[in-house]
Amino acid sequence: MRGGYRSTVERLDRPSAYYQGRNKRRRPDRGREDRDGDAEMADKPEEKPEEDPLANATTLYVGNLSFYTTEEQVYDLFSRCGEVKRLIMGLDRFQKTPCGFCFVEYYTHQDALDCLKYIGGTKLDERIIRTDLDPGFEEGRQYGRGKSGGQVRDEYRDDFDEGRGGLGRAIQSERMREVDRHREADQRMEDDYGKTR
Amino acid sequence: MADYDRRGGGGGGGNRKRRYREDDDYDRRPQRRRYNDAPPPAHIRIRKQLLVLAESPLRGWHEEVQSIAHLVAENYDKDEVKTGFLDLVAQLVIEQPLKTPFVAAVLLIANSVRPEIVTDVLNKIAPLTEQQIAVGEWRSVKLYLKFLACLQSCLDGDGLFPVLEELFNRAVELQTSNSDDTIGTELVKIILLTVPYIMASAPGQGQQKAADLMDKTDVIASEPHALQVLIDPYHPEKGDDSPSANASLIGLLQKQLQAEATNGWELSCLPRPWALPLEEVEQQEKIDSAQKHPLPSIAIPETVVAGPRPLFPEVYFSVYANQEVESVPPPSSIAASLIRDGLLDTINNLDFNRHVTARYLIDLDCYFAHGTFIKRATPFDRLRDIEGGRPTWKPEDVAVDAVFSQLFQLPNPEHKLVFYHSVLTEACKLAPAAIAPSLGRAIRYSYQNLHRLDLELAYRFLDWFAHHLSNFGFMWKWQEWKDDVDLPDIHPCKAFIVGALDKEIRLSFAQRIKGTLPDEYQSLIGPEKEQDTPEFKFNDEHTPFSAEGKELAALLKKKATDEEIQPVIDRIHSAALEQSIDPLVTSTDVFVTAVCWVGSKSLSHVLAAIERTKDRLLDIGAASEAARQQIITSVMAYWSAHPGVAISIVEKLLNYSIITPAAVINWALVSGKAGSGGDALSKAWVFELVFQTVMKVTGRVRQVASAGTADGTADPEVAAMRDLFKIMEDALASWASGSKDEMMDPAEPMDGAGGNREDIVQRWGERWLRVFRRRSAIEEAHLQVGTQ
Repeated sequence: MRGGYRSTVERLDRPSAYYQGRNKRRRPDRGREDRDGDAEMADKPEEKPEEDPLANATTLYVGNLSFYTTEEQVYDLFSRCGEVKRLIMGLDRFQKTPCGFCFVEYYTHQDALDCLKYIGGTKLDERIIRTDLDPGFEEGRQYGRGKSGGQVRDEYRDDFDEGRGGLGRAIQSERMREVDRHREADQRMEDDYGKTR
Repeated sequence: MADYDRRGGGGGGGNRKRRYREDDDYDRRPQRRRYNDAPPPAHIRIRKQLLVLAESPLRGWHEEVQSIAHLVAENYDKDEVKTGFLDLVAQLVIEQPLKTPFVAAVLLIANSVRPEIVTDVLNKIAPLTEQQIAVGEWRSVKLYLKFLACLQSCLDGDGLFPVLEELFNRAVELQTSNSDDTIGTELVKIILLTVPYIMASAPGQGQQKAADLMDKTDVIASEPHALQVLIDPYHPEKGDDSPSANASLIGLLQKQLQAEATNGWELSCLPRPWALPLEEVEQQEKIDSAQKHPLPSIAIPETVVAGPRPLFPEVYFSVYANQEVESVPPPSSIAASLIRDGLLDTINNLDFNRHVTARYLIDLDCYFAHGTFIKRATPFDRLRDIEGGRPTWKPEDVAVDAVFSQLFQLPNPEHKLVFYHSVLTEACKLAPAAIAPSLGRAIRYSYQNLHRLDLELAYRFLDWFAHHLSNFGFMWKWQEWKDDVDLPDIHPCKAFIVGALDKEIRLSFAQRIKGTLPDEYQSLIGPEKEQDTPEFKFNDEHTPFSAEGKELAALLKKKATDEEIQPVIDRIHSAALEQSIDPLVTSTDVFVTAVCWVGSKSLSHVLAAIERTKDRLLDIGAASEAARQQIITSVMAYWSAHPGVAISIVEKLLNYSIITPAAVINWALVSGKAGSGGDALSKAWVFELVFQTVMKVTGRVRQVASAGTADGTADPEVAAMRDLFKIMEDALASWASGSKDEMMDPAEPMDGAGGNREDIVQRWGERWLRVFRRRSAIEEAHLQVGTQ
């Protein structure tokens, strides 16, 4: 926990366990586990560990968006915590289409904290969205880092999520190959029928 | 030990994954080890038990408080027990004030075993109270006093009364020297809310003291405050009384307490966890005869301050007023004030965890005397069947009412409005079957009172309504308002429906919202709303300057230089001169519409397009008011089906200083472009546009004022703000008085409103005027406080 003061109930305006976890584990020789698989933090060498990069953060990472959610929708919801200074949609690295996350930057740290408390975990476009304090957007971080261009979490998902392109992409392409095989088999069957006739 | 601490940290802590992640890489002990651990040390157990105190309706209060009291008393020699306990008590009564009587009960029992515990607590709380008084943190003062009041039975002599009397002396001085004073009002509120806890703690005592005190407060409490008209949530039509005209919070409190005094201070809703059941009579005697403590002195400075939050008199508001069976305590009952007060402190102090806040709303009945409420989730229809004399108060209604009182708090509630939205959302998620019907009735009440609610509140209601539905699949019983669809657009109910649907669409999309609506409403969402990208009017050959429009759009698309753009603009100018129309206005429409169209894919696109053409836009905006008006007109016209997008663009144009706040106000309220003959006043998006613009200006003034202190840097900003309010006053006063030209001689057809259309428009004008006069008054007051 940051700070010495501890409340009698958990505070919702703290960085997530994800962020704290990955910061502790920042070791160059290790592969990292990733929050939704995206939003790569720039690899700065660790200079002063006691300086908290989130102490004045005004940016939020927003996850679990539908691929179809528009900037205008994000803007409408997030403006309720203060004027949005900048909004950067996460894009598929190859298709350049929204891939389910974004960065929202406010003018003040307090607005960002309020957003964690009041908007994180509520619905946008009928999906529960997640928010996390972020040290700040840097060019390149708007792209998905999954193999197929989207977010890593969308590669191996085995649930069907209509708002995020159905099944995980790796599984999808596996299924596609299967469908193709079936189709070939069906084709052969049909051919066989032809033969028997 | 650290593990224990973290687990004790309340809420839903102790999640394995989280702790696992917080562990260091090389220090990952096997998980299994913890099962072999000894039972947690005493201070951890005490913390855990205190944090969940009174939360379970299954545990008996007296058992719970006795168990903790003895645990503390037995282990009080340990340093970590003593400091941990004292700190937690001080924190708990602030953060979770509904538990205060229960914490006090723990101490009263502990007092019978180890009186030094109470001595230590008093020595901790008294200086804290003093500090909070010094900085004007009046809520914390109230909460510490409430705690001390619950300890009255173990205090020497008059206990807490002298402190209240001293507070009252300050209040009198303040009120007599300034009729607009709000600190004195706040002090009286604190006194009146503390007295019941004193009387409940030490029954049968202090009645004379209480009577004397209330004799004194009567003068201040019964006098309507000068500012009350400003913050009344209702704005009745001429000749009608506001439903809350006599609902000043301290006025009600004074009457409720007087009624309670004649009733022998029954205070039936307050919990008395220090009263043990009859079979524990011995234990009870020990408590009653335990050592009494002198209250350490609590000094109150000669001059008290308003503190960090601006103070206003308060009005008691309820969305469940005048029902056939009362589902919430009536304003004549002290329960109305005490329960509301406990809930509001909980809601506003726990804004950092809305889940816990919502839990409190649902578990409300755990923290008041048994029998105060009916069983949870009892349908409203059943209240009628409850026999006379038994309570009919629905805990869900009381909880929802408290949140609505904050949504409808003028001038502003303590936190951003979206916090209160989120609390209602969470409460609905926790107990949908119980909360949803109560919310439904709150919605119906607000809807039926739209015509006399303050306009700012009517807008808040609309905004909450749409946002709330967006969290629950946009489900609402639209069927019940279907007859209102045929009302004229300027009727408050129809304006609400149209505005709410637009907001819903902004959070979703037109087709989705259409799918949630009955047939009667389908016509309200036209095909233009389903179109993501509006047509570019210059693509139509018949539009004047069609060729130039297309050419400009093509140039903007390929990010052409200004030199390439200028010749096209020049061509428009000369053509306009030939037709004797304003050249700049004409070219501005073509140019700005082209910028909108090129940027129509998303807000980022249009912002990039504005950024690239910023210099030209700045020049246009600087040229004339007519040009500024045209910029706004073009943006609004292009996005007419999606006013939300247009408002966002206007906001950014204001940030770039391409247009001025005054231009926005003129456009919305004077030009007639936002709706002719006063129609504009009825549109929710016009109110949003204007309100947002005004808030931007006042926010700026506050920012500069707080940063630049008194060196005069804020002066130009302040002057600009005053000019803006003047413009609004002029524009709105003529609507409100019915002297606006468009009203005197309506060129527009009456659109079904018939002969009383003028009256309706005039009424809208009055409501607008009240909102912005209040905003102006608040900003002036703020400036005054700043200069003092």
